Amino acid sequence: MKRILYVTAVSFLLLGAHFKLTELRAQVAPPRATKASAIQVLMIQSDDIKLPAEFQISLYENLIHQLEKQGGFQHVYRDGDHNATAVPDLVVLHSTVRGFRKGSEMARQVTTVAGKTSVDVHCQFTDKDGKNVLERELNGKVMFFGGNLRATLDFAKKAAKLAHDNFAVNSGS
Amino acid sequence: MVLRFTRTAMIGLLSVLGSTALPSVAQQPAAGTKVEQITGLVGVKAKAKGSLTLENGNLQFTSSKAKANVPIDSIEDVVTGDDSQRVFRGTVGTLTMFAPYGSGRFLSLFRLKLDTLTIRYRDADRGLHGAIFTMPVGKADPLKKALLSQGAHTSIPMLNSPGSSEAKPDAVKEKKP
Repeated sequence: MKRILYVTAVSFLLLGAHFKLTELRAQVAPPRATKASAIQVLMIQSDDIKLPAEFQISLYENLIHQLEKQGGFQHVYRDGDHNATAVPDLVVLHSTVRGFRKGSEMARQVTTVAGKTSVDVHCQFTDKDGKNVLERELNGKVMFFGGNLRATLDFAKKAAKLAHDNFAVNSGS
Repeated sequence: MVLRFTRTAMIGLLSVLGSTALPSVAQQPAAGTKVEQITGLVGVKAKAKGSLTLENGNLQFTSSKAKANVPIDSIEDVVTGDDSQRVFRGTVGTLTMFAPYGSGRFLSLFRLKLDTLTIRYRDADRGLHGAIFTMPVGKADPLKKALLSQGAHTSIPMLNSPGSSEAKPDAVKEKKP
């Protein structure tokens, strides 16, 4: 009798632990990314970080250009484009600048080791209803060759690849 | 007699000169501001060189290969700034980096100051665009002023104080690193 009670109690404990683990896993793991036929890029936000206007525009324009270049989406919509509202499986990319360091092209070329420009951006992909689908921290930097704005191109390439790998119809995953 | 002949000759000469001079003045294109379009204009390659003019309510970029128009009333923000670039750029600039005895690094010290003009505008579908231009020092502020006078908007207004058309309040002073 004692043994039956012991086995039952252990079984309940194991079952409870299993449910708890499943629940925790569901909370930690990001929702499964879905394929989308179109993506909309919203203007880069930089409320906490003082970002020069040319960097903000360069991030936005390079991001759109790289997404178009990568392919995989039928349309890449810009912020505010009213045509995007008609797309049922739209993915929206929200980008917020979390860190920015403006280096110096001259310092990079003269010293090689100093003058790095870097920008850290929090990328959040949501569906049309605003539900979070994927979140990542990405950065763009220029270490040696090129002007400071080249850091925005570096970021744009990474973000476009992330979007392509997770949402593009012709991606491998 | 001589006076009359001289007068007739002068009138004839002036009429000939006038007929040739007037059309040349009328056909002279607006000079525009020499700029380099870094990115943003639809149908124009990045780093295209050309000129910016304000014509018929449009901001017009004209280069040897492309032309782009942005309606001024669709411009939501105009911001000026400054930057610098190497005097020796492009392929030559890259090759100088491999020059012996650090001479390439020395050449990197020679830099050209620039003004930047950044605009934000909406297309016909209300899609947001941005464009960045670089131009010689002192050209961006007058261009911004002209854009604002023709209906463009800005998040950083210009202060028109006498004696200094470029003065701005400290709180909203545009980036001048």
